[in-house]
Amino acid sequence: MQDLLDTLEKVNQLALTQDEKASVQAYFERVAQDLPSFAEVDTQNVTPMVYVMPLSNVLREDESSQPFTRDDLQKGAPEAEDGYWEVPRLIE
Amino acid sequence: MEYEVVIGLEVHVELATNSKIFCSCSAKYGAEQNEHVCPACCGMPGMLPIVNKKVVDLGMTAGMMLNCHINRTTTFDKKNYYYPDLPGAYQTTQLFAPICVNGRVDIETSKGKKSVRIKQIHMEEDAGKLVHDDWRDLTMVDYNRTSVPLVEIVSQPDLSSAEEVVAYLERLRSLLRFAKVSDCRWEQGSMRCDVNLSVREKGSDKLGVRTEMKNMNSLAAITRAIEYETARHIDAIVNKTEELVQETRRWDDEKGKSFAMRTKETAGDYRYFPDPNVMPVVIDDVWYDRIKATLPEFPEIKKQRYMEELGLGDFDASSLVESRAFCDVFEEAYAECGLAKDVANWILKDCANLLNKKQMTADMLAIDGRALGKLIKLVADEKVGRANAKFILAEIFEGATDPEKIAEEKGFIVSNDTGLIEKVVAEIVAADPKSVADYKGGKEKAFMALFGKCMRELRGNCNPQVLRELLLKEIEKA
Repeated sequence: MQDLLDTLEKVNQLALTQDEKASVQAYFERVAQDLPSFAEVDTQNVTPMVYVMPLSNVLREDESSQPFTRDDLQKGAPEAEDGYWEVPRLIE
Repeated sequence: MEYEVVIGLEVHVELATNSKIFCSCSAKYGAEQNEHVCPACCGMPGMLPIVNKKVVDLGMTAGMMLNCHINRTTTFDKKNYYYPDLPGAYQTTQLFAPICVNGRVDIETSKGKKSVRIKQIHMEEDAGKLVHDDWRDLTMVDYNRTSVPLVEIVSQPDLSSAEEVVAYLERLRSLLRFAKVSDCRWEQGSMRCDVNLSVREKGSDKLGVRTEMKNMNSLAAITRAIEYETARHIDAIVNKTEELVQETRRWDDEKGKSFAMRTKETAGDYRYFPDPNVMPVVIDDVWYDRIKATLPEFPEIKKQRYMEELGLGDFDASSLVESRAFCDVFEEAYAECGLAKDVANWILKDCANLLNKKQMTADMLAIDGRALGKLIKLVADEKVGRANAKFILAEIFEGATDPEKIAEEKGFIVSNDTGLIEKVVAEIVAADPKSVADYKGGKEKAFMALFGKCMRELRGNCNPQVLRELLLKEIEKA
Protein backbone atom coordinates (compact mmCIF):
# COMPACT_ATOMS: atom_id res chain seq x y z
CA MET A 1 0.00 0.00 0.00
CA GLN A 2 2.85 2.35 0.91
CA ASP A 3 4.48 1.72 -2.48
CA LEU A 4 1.24 2.45 -4.28
CA LEU A 5 0.82 5.71 -2.39
CA ASP A 6 4.39 6.75 -3.14
CA THR A 7 3.91 6.08 -6.85
CA LEU A 8 0.61 7.95 -7.00
CA GLU A 9 2.14 10.88 -5.16
CA LYS A 10 4.96 11.00 -7.65
CA VAL A 11 3.00 10.67 -10.89
CA ASN A 12 0.43 13.20 -9.72
CA GLN A 13 3.18 15.63 -8.77
CA LEU A 14 1.89 15.92 -5.21
CA ALA A 15 3.76 16.54 -1.99
CA LEU A 16 1.63 15.21 0.85
CA THR A 17 2.31 15.92 4.52
CA GLN A 18 2.61 12.99 6.96
CA ASP A 19 -0.94 13.66 8.21
CA GLU A 20 -2.34 13.76 4.69
CA LYS A 21 -0.52 10.56 3.85
CA ALA A 22 -1.99 8.84 6.87
CA SER A 23 -5.51 9.93 6.01
CA VAL A 24 -5.19 8.93 2.32
CA GLN A 25 -3.76 5.59 3.37
CA ALA A 26 -6.64 4.96 5.76
CA TYR A 27 -9.10 5.79 3.00
CA PHE A 28 -7.36 3.53 0.51
CA GLU A 29 -7.32 0.68 3.01
CA ARG A 30 -11.04 1.04 3.54
CA VAL A 31 -11.59 0.87 -0.24
CA ALA A 32 -9.28 -2.13 -0.46
CA GLN A 33 -11.37 -3.95 2.11
CA ASP A 34 -14.46 -3.57 -0.06
CA LEU A 35 -12.75 -4.59 -3.26
CA PRO A 36 -13.06 -8.39 -2.81
CA SER A 37 -16.84 -8.08 -2.92
CA PHE A 38 -16.54 -6.84 -6.53
CA ALA A 39 -14.58 -9.94 -7.44
CA GLU A 40 -17.59 -12.05 -6.54
CA VAL A 41 -19.58 -10.63 -9.44
CA ASP A 42 -19.39 -12.68 -12.62
CA THR A 43 -18.08 -10.29 -15.30
CA GLN A 44 -16.97 -12.97 -17.76
CA ASN A 45 -19.12 -11.76 -20.65
CA VAL A 46 -19.49 -8.13 -19.70
CA THR A 47 -17.80 -5.49 -21.84
CA PRO A 48 -16.39 -2.71 -19.69
CA MET A 49 -18.58 0.37 -19.93
CA VAL A 50 -16.64 3.42 -21.01
CA TYR A 51 -19.32 5.57 -22.57
CA VAL A 52 -22.45 6.61 -20.75
CA MET A 53 -24.37 7.38 -23.93
CA PRO A 54 -24.76 4.78 -26.70
CA LEU A 55 -23.26 7.14 -29.28
CA SER A 56 -20.65 6.83 -31.98
CA ASN A 57 -19.28 9.05 -34.77
CA VAL A 58 -19.81 12.36 -33.05
CA LEU A 59 -17.79 14.21 -35.64
CA ARG A 60 -17.36 17.68 -37.07
CA GLU A 61 -16.35 18.89 -40.52
CA ASP A 62 -12.83 20.27 -40.95
CA GLU A 63 -13.74 23.95 -40.79
CA SER A 64 -11.75 26.42 -38.78
CA SER A 65 -13.02 29.39 -36.82
CA GLN A 66 -11.61 31.50 -34.02
CA PRO A 67 -14.51 32.65 -31.83
CA PHE A 68 -12.34 33.49 -28.80
CA THR A 69 -9.55 36.02 -28.65
CA ARG A 70 -6.29 35.42 -26.90
CA ASP A 71 -7.06 38.22 -24.46
CA ASP A 72 -10.40 36.61 -23.50
CA LEU A 73 -8.66 33.38 -22.68
CA GLN A 74 -5.82 34.94 -20.75
CA LYS A 75 -8.11 37.02 -18.53
CA GLY A 76 -8.08 34.37 -15.82
CA ALA A 77 -4.41 33.53 -16.16
CA PRO A 78 -2.32 34.08 -13.01
CA GLU A 79 0.58 35.19 -15.22
CA ALA A 80 0.47 36.19 -18.88
CA GLU A 81 2.59 38.57 -20.88
CA ASP A 82 3.18 39.35 -24.51
CA GLY A 83 0.53 36.81 -25.52
CA TYR A 84 2.16 33.96 -23.64
CA TRP A 85 0.94 32.16 -20.55
CA GLU A 86 3.78 32.16 -18.07
CA VAL A 87 4.54 29.29 -15.72
CA PRO A 88 7.35 28.48 -13.31
CA ARG A 89 10.47 27.47 -15.16
CA LEU A 90 10.49 23.83 -16.20
CA ILE A 91 13.33 21.90 -17.70
CA GLU A 92 12.78 18.25 -18.36
CA MET B 1 32.28 -10.98 -31.28
CA GLU B 2 30.14 -9.17 -33.83
CA TYR B 3 27.28 -6.90 -32.83
CA GLU B 4 24.20 -5.67 -34.59
CA VAL B 5 21.96 -2.71 -33.95
CA VAL B 6 18.18 -3.09 -33.73
CA ILE B 7 16.10 0.04 -34.41
CA GLY B 8 12.40 0.78 -34.25
CA LEU B 9 10.94 4.18 -35.07
CA GLU B 10 8.01 6.22 -33.88
CA VAL B 11 7.28 8.86 -36.49
CA HIS B 12 4.97 11.76 -35.75
CA VAL B 13 3.33 13.41 -38.72
CA GLU B 14 1.09 16.48 -38.51
CA LEU B 15 -2.01 15.99 -40.64
CA ALA B 16 -2.97 18.37 -43.45
CA THR B 17 -6.19 19.72 -41.96
CA ASN B 18 -7.58 23.24 -41.66
CA SER B 19 -8.60 22.84 -38.04
CA LYS B 20 -7.41 21.05 -34.92
CA ILE B 21 -8.35 17.50 -33.98
CA PHE B 22 -10.90 18.24 -31.22
CA CYS B 23 -11.86 21.90 -31.76
CA SER B 24 -12.33 24.33 -34.63
CA CYS B 25 -9.16 26.36 -34.01
CA SER B 26 -6.92 26.78 -37.04
CA ALA B 27 -4.16 24.16 -37.38
CA LYS B 28 -2.02 26.45 -39.57
CA TYR B 29 1.66 26.77 -38.76
CA GLY B 30 3.33 30.11 -38.12
CA ALA B 31 0.74 32.30 -36.33
CA GLU B 32 1.55 34.71 -33.51
CA GLN B 33 1.69 33.01 -30.10
CA ASN B 34 -1.68 31.84 -28.82
CA GLU B 35 -3.65 33.19 -31.79
CA HIS B 36 -5.11 29.74 -32.51
CA VAL B 37 -6.59 28.85 -29.16
CA CYS B 38 -10.01 28.31 -27.59
CA PRO B 39 -11.29 26.98 -24.26
CA ALA B 40 -11.11 23.38 -25.56
CA CYS B 41 -7.47 23.32 -26.60
CA CYS B 42 -6.52 25.44 -23.58
CA GLY B 43 -7.78 22.70 -21.30
CA MET B 44 -10.51 24.78 -19.66
CA PRO B 45 -12.79 22.62 -17.49
CA GLY B 46 -16.03 21.34 -18.97
CA MET B 47 -15.07 21.54 -22.63
CA LEU B 48 -16.15 18.69 -24.91
CA PRO B 49 -13.74 17.52 -27.56
CA ILE B 50 -15.37 16.74 -30.93
CA VAL B 51 -13.38 14.72 -33.45
CA ASN B 52 -12.51 16.31 -36.79
CA LYS B 53 -13.76 13.92 -39.49
CA LYS B 54 -10.88 14.79 -41.83
CA VAL B 55 -8.43 13.49 -39.22
CA VAL B 56 -10.05 10.06 -39.44
CA ASP B 57 -10.02 10.29 -43.26
CA LEU B 58 -6.30 11.06 -43.26
CA GLY B 59 -5.55 8.44 -40.59
CA MET B 60 -7.23 5.84 -42.79
CA THR B 61 -5.41 7.13 -45.87
CA ALA B 62 -2.06 6.84 -44.09
CA GLY B 63 -2.90 3.27 -43.08
CA MET B 64 -3.95 2.27 -46.58
CA MET B 65 -0.77 3.76 -48.08
CA LEU B 66 1.26 1.70 -45.59
CA ASN B 67 -0.65 -1.55 -46.19
CA CYS B 68 -2.29 -1.55 -42.77
CA HIS B 69 -5.41 -3.20 -41.48
CA ILE B 70 -7.95 -0.49 -40.62
CA ASN B 71 -9.77 -1.02 -37.32
CA ARG B 72 -13.43 -0.42 -38.11
CA THR B 73 -14.10 0.67 -34.53
CA THR B 74 -11.46 2.99 -33.20
CA THR B 75 -11.40 4.76 -29.83
CA PHE B 76 -9.47 7.47 -28.01
CA ASP B 77 -7.67 7.24 -24.67
CA LYS B 78 -6.19 9.63 -22.14
CA LYS B 79 -2.45 9.51 -21.51
CA ASN B 80 -1.80 11.33 -18.27
CA TYR B 81 1.23 13.45 -17.69
CA TYR B 82 1.91 16.73 -15.93
CA TYR B 83 3.67 19.19 -18.13
CA PRO B 84 2.36 22.59 -19.22
CA ASP B 85 2.67 21.85 -22.95
CA LEU B 86 -0.71 20.11 -22.60
CA PRO B 87 -2.93 22.14 -20.31
CA GLY B 88 -5.39 19.35 -19.48
CA ALA B 89 -2.54 17.33 -17.93
CA TYR B 90 -3.24 14.53 -20.39
CA GLN B 91 -2.88 13.87 -24.08
CA THR B 92 -5.82 12.42 -25.97
CA THR B 93 -4.37 9.61 -28.04
CA GLN B 94 -5.14 6.01 -29.00
CA LEU B 95 -3.83 2.99 -27.12
CA PHE B 96 -6.48 0.27 -26.98
CA ALA B 97 -7.98 0.47 -30.48
CA PRO B 98 -5.74 2.54 -32.79
CA ILE B 99 -7.04 3.31 -36.26
CA CYS B 100 -4.49 1.16 -38.12
CA VAL B 101 -2.46 -1.95 -37.27
CA ASN B 102 -0.14 -4.45 -38.96
CA GLY B 103 1.21 -2.61 -41.98
CA ARG B 104 4.29 -2.81 -44.14
CA VAL B 105 6.66 -0.41 -45.85
CA ASP B 106 9.06 -1.72 -48.51
CA ILE B 107 12.46 -0.09 -48.72
CA GLU B 108 15.59 -0.49 -50.81
CA THR B 109 19.18 0.16 -49.67
CA SER B 110 22.66 -0.77 -50.89
CA LYS B 111 22.08 -4.13 -49.17
CA GLY B 112 18.92 -4.85 -51.17
CA LYS B 113 15.18 -4.85 -50.57
CA LYS B 114 13.50 -5.17 -47.20
CA SER B 115 10.03 -4.96 -45.69
CA VAL B 116 9.63 -2.95 -42.50
CA ARG B 117 6.59 -3.97 -40.47
CA ILE B 118 4.30 -1.27 -39.10
CA LYS B 119 2.95 -2.14 -35.67
CA GLN B 120 0.27 0.53 -35.59
CA ILE B 121 -0.76 4.04 -36.56
CA HIS B 122 -2.68 6.06 -34.03
CA MET B 123 -4.31 9.49 -34.11
CA GLU B 124 -3.53 11.98 -31.37
CA GLU B 125 -3.18 15.64 -30.50
CA ASP B 126 0.12 17.50 -30.62
CA ALA B 127 1.41 19.35 -27.56
CA GLY B 128 2.04 23.09 -27.22
CA LYS B 129 5.35 24.89 -27.40
CA LEU B 130 7.36 25.97 -24.38
CA VAL B 131 9.88 28.77 -24.53
CA HIS B 132 12.26 28.83 -21.57
CA ASP B 133 13.25 32.35 -20.59
CA ASP B 134 16.62 32.16 -18.84
CA TRP B 135 16.70 35.86 -18.10
CA ARG B 136 13.42 35.96 -16.19
CA ASP B 137 13.73 32.34 -15.03
CA LEU B 138 10.30 31.27 -16.22
CA THR B 139 8.65 29.33 -19.02
CA MET B 140 6.40 30.92 -21.65
CA VAL B 141 3.64 28.76 -23.10
CA ASP B 142 2.21 28.89 -26.62
CA TYR B 143 -0.84 26.67 -27.22
CA ASN B 144 -1.14 27.18 -30.99
CA ARG B 145 0.20 23.69 -31.65
CA THR B 146 -1.82 22.10 -28.86
CA SER B 147 -4.40 19.73 -30.40
CA VAL B 148 -3.01 20.02 -33.91
CA PRO B 149 -3.78 16.56 -35.31
CA LEU B 150 -1.01 13.99 -35.62
CA VAL B 151 -0.65 10.41 -36.58
CA GLU B 152 2.09 8.44 -34.87
CA ILE B 153 3.44 5.65 -37.03
CA VAL B 154 5.07 2.93 -34.94
CA SER B 155 7.35 0.46 -36.69
CA GLN B 156 8.49 -2.92 -35.42
CA PRO B 157 12.21 -3.09 -34.53
CA ASP B 158 13.03 -4.21 -38.07
CA LEU B 159 15.68 -1.65 -38.99
CA SER B 160 19.35 -2.43 -38.64
CA SER B 161 21.35 0.57 -39.88
CA ALA B 162 21.20 4.33 -40.29
CA GLU B 163 20.97 3.78 -44.04
CA GLU B 164 17.83 1.67 -43.62
CA VAL B 165 16.32 4.25 -41.27
CA VAL B 166 16.89 7.01 -43.83
CA ALA B 167 15.43 4.86 -46.65
CA TYR B 168 12.39 4.08 -44.48
CA LEU B 169 11.81 7.72 -43.53
CA GLU B 170 12.19 8.92 -47.11
CA ARG B 171 9.75 6.28 -48.31
CA LEU B 172 7.28 7.18 -45.57
CA ARG B 173 7.56 10.86 -46.43
CA SER B 174 7.08 10.26 -50.12
CA LEU B 175 3.98 8.08 -49.60
CA LEU B 176 2.35 10.43 -47.11
CA ARG B 177 3.01 13.53 -49.19
CA PHE B 178 1.70 11.78 -52.27
CA ALA B 179 -1.51 10.89 -50.50
CA LYS B 180 -1.73 14.47 -49.16
CA VAL B 181 -1.81 13.17 -45.59
CA SER B 182 0.81 15.72 -44.51
CA ASP B 183 3.33 18.13 -45.97
CA CYS B 184 5.95 16.25 -43.87
CA ARG B 185 8.25 19.25 -43.41
CA TRP B 186 11.09 18.34 -41.09
CA GLU B 187 12.10 21.99 -40.67
CA GLN B 188 8.62 22.99 -39.46
CA GLY B 189 8.27 19.98 -37.21
CA SER B 190 5.38 18.51 -39.20
CA MET B 191 7.44 15.31 -39.39
CA ARG B 192 9.60 14.17 -36.49
CA CYS B 193 10.90 10.93 -35.23
CA ASP B 194 11.72 9.05 -32.04
CA VAL B 195 14.51 6.50 -32.49
CA ASN B 196 14.45 3.37 -30.29
CA LEU B 197 17.77 1.60 -30.44
CA SER B 198 19.47 -1.41 -28.87
CA VAL B 199 22.52 -3.52 -29.63
CA ARG B 200 22.86 -7.30 -29.40
CA GLU B 201 25.22 -10.06 -30.44
CA LYS B 202 24.82 -10.74 -34.12
CA GLY B 203 22.32 -13.53 -34.72
CA SER B 204 20.89 -13.43 -31.19
CA ASP B 205 17.12 -13.30 -30.88
CA LYS B 206 17.25 -11.49 -27.56
CA LEU B 207 17.02 -7.69 -27.62
CA GLY B 208 19.55 -5.58 -25.71
CA VAL B 209 18.87 -2.62 -23.41
CA ARG B 210 16.86 -0.04 -25.34
CA THR B 211 17.35 3.71 -25.35
CA GLU B 212 15.09 6.23 -27.02
CA MET B 213 16.01 9.54 -28.64
CA LYS B 214 13.04 11.83 -28.99
CA ASN B 215 11.96 14.52 -31.46
CA MET B 216 14.64 14.11 -34.09
CA ASN B 217 13.93 16.39 -37.03
CA SER B 218 16.50 15.92 -39.75
CA LEU B 219 17.83 12.91 -41.61
CA ALA B 220 21.42 14.05 -41.12
CA ALA B 221 20.96 14.39 -37.34
CA ILE B 222 19.19 11.02 -37.17
CA THR B 223 22.09 9.37 -39.01
CA ARG B 224 24.67 10.93 -36.68
CA ALA B 225 22.63 10.07 -33.58
CA ILE B 226 22.26 6.41 -34.62
CA GLU B 227 25.97 6.11 -35.31
CA TYR B 228 26.83 7.70 -31.95
CA GLU B 229 24.35 5.61 -29.94
CA THR B 230 25.41 2.36 -31.62
CA ALA B 231 29.05 3.05 -30.77
CA ARG B 232 28.12 4.02 -27.20
CA HIS B 233 26.14 0.79 -26.69
CA ILE B 234 28.88 -1.42 -28.13
CA ASP B 235 31.49 0.37 -26.03
CA ALA B 236 29.39 -0.17 -22.91
CA ILE B 237 28.93 -3.87 -23.69
CA VAL B 238 32.49 -4.67 -24.79
CA ASN B 239 34.57 -2.32 -22.66
CA LYS B 240 32.16 -1.98 -19.73
CA THR B 241 32.53 1.82 -19.96
CA GLU B 242 29.08 2.35 -18.43
CA GLU B 243 25.99 0.44 -17.44
CA LEU B 244 23.29 0.72 -20.08
CA VAL B 245 19.85 1.56 -18.71
CA GLN B 246 16.52 1.83 -20.42
CA GLU B 247 16.03 5.57 -20.74
CA THR B 248 15.06 8.51 -22.89
CA ARG B 249 18.00 10.47 -24.22
CA ARG B 250 18.30 13.85 -25.87
CA TRP B 251 20.46 14.14 -28.97
CA ASP B 252 22.57 17.31 -29.10
CA ASP B 253 23.52 17.62 -32.75
CA GLU B 254 25.97 20.46 -32.17
CA LYS B 255 27.95 18.55 -29.55
CA GLY B 256 27.45 15.28 -31.46
CA LYS B 257 26.42 13.52 -28.24
CA SER B 258 23.35 12.11 -26.54
CA PHE B 259 22.43 12.93 -22.95
CA ALA B 260 20.17 11.12 -20.47
CA MET B 261 16.78 12.83 -20.00
CA ARG B 262 14.63 10.69 -17.79
CA THR B 263 15.15 7.25 -16.40
CA LYS B 264 13.07 4.14 -16.19
CA GLU B 265 11.86 5.02 -12.71
CA THR B 266 9.01 7.19 -13.91
CA ALA B 267 8.93 6.30 -17.57
CA GLY B 268 5.79 4.88 -19.09
CA ASP B 269 3.60 5.48 -16.08
CA TYR B 270 0.96 7.30 -18.04
CA ARG B 271 -2.10 5.62 -16.51
CA TYR B 272 -3.86 5.31 -19.84
CA PHE B 273 -7.62 4.99 -19.74
CA PRO B 274 -10.40 5.32 -22.32
CA ASP B 275 -11.54 8.92 -22.79
CA PRO B 276 -15.24 8.85 -21.98
CA ASN B 277 -15.73 12.26 -23.62
CA VAL B 278 -14.70 11.16 -27.11
CA MET B 279 -17.20 8.76 -28.61
CA PRO B 280 -15.95 5.76 -30.59
CA VAL B 281 -15.52 6.19 -34.33
CA VAL B 282 -17.12 3.45 -36.39
CA ILE B 283 -15.98 3.18 -39.99
CA ASP B 284 -18.60 1.58 -42.23
CA ASP B 285 -18.01 0.16 -45.72
CA VAL B 286 -19.21 3.31 -47.45
CA TRP B 287 -16.69 5.46 -45.59
CA TYR B 288 -13.91 2.91 -46.04
CA ASP B 289 -14.55 2.60 -49.78
CA ARG B 290 -14.74 6.35 -50.23
CA ILE B 291 -11.23 6.75 -48.79
CA LYS B 292 -9.91 3.74 -50.72
CA ALA B 293 -11.11 5.38 -53.94
CA THR B 294 -9.09 8.54 -53.25
CA LEU B 295 -5.73 6.76 -52.91
CA PRO B 296 -3.16 7.93 -55.45
CA GLU B 297 -1.08 5.73 -57.70
CA PHE B 298 2.18 4.94 -55.83
CA PRO B 299 5.07 7.22 -56.89
CA GLU B 300 7.26 4.44 -58.30
CA ILE B 301 4.38 3.05 -60.36
CA LYS B 302 3.66 6.52 -61.68
CA LYS B 303 7.33 6.99 -62.54
CA GLN B 304 7.44 3.73 -64.45
CA ARG B 305 4.29 4.65 -66.35
CA TYR B 306 5.69 8.07 -67.25
CA MET B 307 8.81 6.39 -68.64
CA GLU B 308 7.23 3.43 -70.40
CA GLU B 309 3.98 4.89 -71.68
CA LEU B 310 4.82 8.56 -72.10
CA GLY B 311 8.47 8.21 -73.06
CA LEU B 312 9.95 10.45 -70.35
CA GLY B 313 13.55 9.97 -69.29
CA ASP B 314 14.52 8.74 -65.82
CA PHE B 315 15.50 12.22 -64.62
CA ASP B 316 12.26 13.94 -65.69
CA ALA B 317 10.06 11.13 -64.38
CA SER B 318 11.91 10.98 -61.02
CA SER B 319 11.76 14.76 -60.63
CA LEU B 320 8.03 14.87 -61.34
CA VAL B 321 7.12 12.14 -58.84
CA GLU B 322 8.95 14.04 -56.08
CA SER B 323 5.79 16.11 -55.81
CA ARG B 324 2.16 15.11 -56.06
CA ALA B 325 1.29 18.64 -57.21
CA PHE B 326 3.76 18.36 -60.10
CA CYS B 327 2.21 15.02 -61.12
CA ASP B 328 -1.34 16.39 -60.96
CA VAL B 329 -0.47 19.40 -63.15
CA PHE B 330 1.61 17.21 -65.47
CA GLU B 331 -1.23 14.77 -66.05
CA GLU B 332 -3.81 17.46 -66.68
CA ALA B 333 -1.54 19.33 -69.08
CA TYR B 334 -0.56 16.13 -70.88
CA ALA B 335 -4.21 15.19 -71.33
CA GLU B 336 -4.74 18.56 -73.00
CA CYS B 337 -1.74 18.69 -75.35
CA GLY B 338 -0.29 15.17 -75.55
CA LEU B 339 3.30 16.48 -75.40
CA ALA B 340 4.81 14.72 -72.39
CA LYS B 341 8.41 15.89 -72.76
CA ASP B 342 7.36 19.51 -73.33
CA VAL B 343 5.05 19.45 -70.31
CA ALA B 344 7.81 17.99 -68.13
CA ASN B 345 10.18 20.76 -69.27
CA TRP B 346 7.67 23.52 -68.60
CA ILE B 347 6.95 22.19 -65.11
CA LEU B 348 10.49 21.33 -64.06
CA LYS B 349 12.07 24.49 -65.47
CA ASP B 350 9.59 27.34 -65.92
CA CYS B 351 7.09 26.47 -63.19
CA ALA B 352 9.91 25.56 -60.80
CA ASN B 353 11.54 28.94 -61.51
CA LEU B 354 8.35 30.81 -60.78
CA LEU B 355 7.82 28.82 -57.56
CA ASN B 356 11.36 29.64 -56.54
CA LYS B 357 10.84 33.35 -57.12
CA LYS B 358 7.73 33.22 -54.96
CA GLN B 359 9.61 31.20 -52.31
CA MET B 360 7.11 28.38 -52.69
CA THR B 361 7.79 24.64 -52.64
CA ALA B 362 6.95 22.12 -55.35
CA ASP B 363 3.93 20.92 -53.40
CA MET B 364 2.45 24.42 -53.59
CA LEU B 365 2.11 24.36 -57.38
CA ALA B 366 -1.61 24.99 -57.82
CA ILE B 367 -2.16 26.04 -61.42
CA ASP B 368 -4.76 24.90 -63.94
CA GLY B 369 -2.99 22.01 -65.70
CA ARG B 370 -5.32 22.26 -68.69
CA ALA B 371 -4.33 25.90 -69.16
CA LEU B 372 -0.66 24.90 -69.13
CA GLY B 373 -1.44 22.18 -71.70
CA LYS B 374 -3.20 24.71 -73.95
CA LEU B 375 -0.24 27.08 -73.67
CA ILE B 376 2.23 24.34 -74.57
CA LYS B 377 0.10 23.49 -77.59
CA LEU B 378 0.11 27.13 -78.70
CA VAL B 379 3.92 27.13 -78.54
CA ALA B 380 4.19 23.78 -80.31
CA ASP B 381 1.87 25.00 -83.06
CA GLU B 382 4.06 28.11 -83.36
CA LYS B 383 1.11 30.35 -82.56
CA VAL B 384 2.91 31.95 -79.60
CA GLY B 385 6.65 32.48 -79.23
CA ARG B 386 8.38 30.81 -76.30
CA ALA B 387 9.46 34.08 -74.68
CA ASN B 388 5.91 35.46 -74.75
CA ALA B 389 4.58 32.12 -73.52
CA LYS B 390 6.51 32.68 -70.30
CA PHE B 391 4.53 35.87 -69.68
CA ILE B 392 1.34 33.91 -70.20
CA LEU B 393 2.56 31.24 -67.76
CA ALA B 394 3.00 33.95 -65.12
CA GLU B 395 -0.69 34.82 -65.63
CA ILE B 396 -1.68 31.17 -65.35
CA PHE B 397 0.13 31.21 -61.98
CA GLU B 398 -2.21 34.01 -60.97
CA GLY B 399 -5.23 31.89 -61.84
CA ALA B 400 -5.74 32.52 -65.58
CA THR B 401 -7.26 29.60 -67.47
CA ASP B 402 -7.40 30.66 -71.13
CA PRO B 403 -3.90 31.26 -72.58
CA GLU B 404 -5.17 31.86 -76.11
CA LYS B 405 -7.35 34.73 -74.94
CA ILE B 406 -4.39 36.27 -73.06
CA ALA B 407 -2.22 35.86 -76.17
CA GLU B 408 -4.82 37.67 -78.28
CA GLU B 409 -5.32 40.46 -75.75
CA LYS B 410 -1.59 41.05 -75.40
CA GLY B 411 -0.89 40.76 -79.10
CA PHE B 412 1.21 37.64 -78.63
CA ILE B 413 -0.23 35.68 -81.55
CA VAL B 414 2.55 34.90 -84.01
CA SER B 415 1.99 36.59 -87.31
CA ASN B 416 1.99 34.48 -90.44
CA ASP B 417 1.95 37.71 -92.39
CA THR B 418 5.32 37.52 -94.19
CA GLY B 419 4.59 40.93 -95.69
CA LEU B 420 4.76 42.47 -92.21
CA ILE B 421 7.95 40.59 -91.36
CA GLU B 422 9.55 41.67 -94.65
CA LYS B 423 8.61 45.28 -93.98
CA VAL B 424 10.16 45.22 -90.47
CA VAL B 425 13.29 43.44 -91.72
CA ALA B 426 13.75 45.99 -94.50
CA GLU B 427 13.43 48.88 -92.04
CA ILE B 428 15.88 47.43 -89.51
CA VAL B 429 18.47 46.53 -92.15
CA ALA B 430 18.21 49.99 -93.74
CA ALA B 431 18.57 51.70 -90.34
CA ASP B 432 21.68 49.75 -89.25
CA PRO B 433 24.21 49.60 -92.11
CA LYS B 434 27.05 49.11 -89.58
CA SER B 435 25.73 45.78 -88.30
CA VAL B 436 25.06 44.68 -91.87
CA ALA B 437 28.63 45.52 -92.85
CA ASP B 438 30.00 43.81 -89.71
CA TYR B 439 28.08 40.65 -90.50
CA LYS B 440 29.25 40.66 -94.07
CA GLY B 441 32.76 41.16 -92.72
CA GLY B 442 32.41 37.87 -90.78
CA LYS B 443 31.00 38.95 -87.39
CA GLU B 444 28.31 36.35 -86.50
CA LYS B 445 27.25 38.42 -83.51
CA ALA B 446 26.11 41.28 -85.71
CA PHE B 447 23.49 38.99 -87.24
CA MET B 448 22.10 38.18 -83.82
CA ALA B 449 21.88 41.88 -83.03
CA LEU B 450 19.81 42.49 -86.14
CA PHE B 451 17.71 39.40 -85.48
CA GLY B 452 17.03 40.60 -81.94
CA LYS B 453 15.96 44.04 -83.14
CA CYS B 454 13.52 42.53 -85.63
CA MET B 455 12.12 40.15 -83.00
CA ARG B 456 11.61 43.04 -80.57
CA GLU B 457 9.92 45.12 -83.26
CA LEU B 458 7.62 42.19 -84.00
CA ARG B 459 7.09 41.72 -80.22
CA GLY B 460 8.23 38.13 -80.50
CA ASN B 461 5.26 37.22 -82.61
CA CYS B 462 6.90 35.54 -85.55
CA ASN B 463 8.32 32.21 -86.44
CA PRO B 464 12.08 32.47 -85.75
CA GLN B 465 12.92 30.28 -88.75
CA VAL B 466 10.93 32.48 -91.15
CA LEU B 467 12.47 35.63 -89.68
CA ARG B 468 15.96 34.19 -90.06
CA GLU B 469 15.45 33.38 -93.72
CA LEU B 470 13.93 36.74 -94.60
CA LEU B 471 16.65 38.62 -92.71
CA LEU B 472 19.44 36.76 -94.49
CA LYS B 473 17.80 37.52 -97.83
CA GLU B 474 17.51 41.24 -96.99
CA ILE B 475 21.15 41.47 -95.83
CA GLU B 476 22.29 39.87 -99.07
CA LYS B 477 20.39 42.54 -101.02
CA ALA B 478 21.81 45.39 -98.93
